[in-house]
Amino acid sequence: MIGIGEYRVGSFPMMTIGLGSCIGLTMYDPTHKVGAMVHIMLPESANRTDRPGKYADTAVPLLVNELVAVGCKNRSIIAKMTGGACMFEYFGTNLNIGLRNAEKVRQMLKEYHIHLAAEDVGGKFGRSVTFLPDRDGSVSVRRADGTSSNL
Amino acid sequence: MQLSTVQADAIQELGNIGAAHAATTLSQMLGSTIEMRVPEVKVVDLARLGEYMGEESAAMVAFELQGEIPHGGYILFYITRESAIRLTNTMLGQTEMNRPLNEMDESALLEVGNIMVSAFLDATAELLGFVMLPSPPALTIDMAHAAMQSLIAVMNGETNEVLLFSTELVCEEHKIDSDIILMPETNTLQKIVEKLENIMNGN
Repeated sequence: MIGIGEYRVGSFPMMTIGLGSCIGLTMYDPTHKVGAMVHIMLPESANRTDRPGKYADTAVPLLVNELVAVGCKNRSIIAKMTGGACMFEYFGTNLNIGLRNAEKVRQMLKEYHIHLAAEDVGGKFGRSVTFLPDRDGSVSVRRADGTSSNL
Repeated sequence: MQLSTVQADAIQELGNIGAAHAATTLSQMLGSTIEMRVPEVKVVDLARLGEYMGEESAAMVAFELQGEIPHGGYILFYITRESAIRLTNTMLGQTEMNRPLNEMDESALLEVGNIMVSAFLDATAELLGFVMLPSPPALTIDMAHAAMQSLIAVMNGETNEVLLFSTELVCEEHKIDSDIILMPETNTLQKIVEKLENIMNGN
């Protein structure tokens, strides 16, 4: 179970629950059958060095470096992202942090030449995500009403 | 964020008073007795938030704390779907349980949340001598963790912890279970603690 600001790297099932404005980002290398997942809360770290998984601008390089360290190549990595919702519309009108998170992740992925294969972002609802790098790197997204879909 | 025993006790006392007033208003609205559980003060690491609120769907009416401290944090009225249905049913004299939450329920939740939170904040304002004003309410009916996380994300990003002050209010007669959860920003918390320490030192 990956909490806010946490990440995991490996070939085992990974999960994170209750993504509101946060982004659940997965990266998968099918040739090595290894993956990484992180639960990002904010777009910018503003030079903070603790909890790199919490910020999009430090989380993306973190995951890429971890995967490269075990032999993956940037061009083989498949990224998918989920979340970035605005759950309390009334409070969100000015900041919309969810969409800012998504935008920052997209920008960082581009910077690191990582292909973003799919995304399920925005809306006003929460999501939980399960990632299976041990099988086929599939990412499934579940909503509060119990419905789920594959990304 | 470290709370000394004295500080934690002080906040607990504040919450006790606020929640007692909120409980009174709920009791009046339901025409029934409300039991208040012992308030809990918890400092939770963000990564561990999932241990307190999960994927379960709940109704949350949230208010931003404004007034003397702008962007002072949030206060929420939290209630499970089932309890929310019971709440509306009790207030409207209905009995149908096997139904989805509809506009009537949402109205009832906003109203009840508004009244209870206003009572909580009025009572605490008197004790503290400064005013925490609630913003108009915002409602979501969804995963509790996702909703809380969304509020925490726009609070002070410097800290990796959140202070959750929660009091459970239960109506045994109608099987309604709800919580008032106060999530003060660090600056609000500081001001609260200072005031309470002054009071306790006889100032």
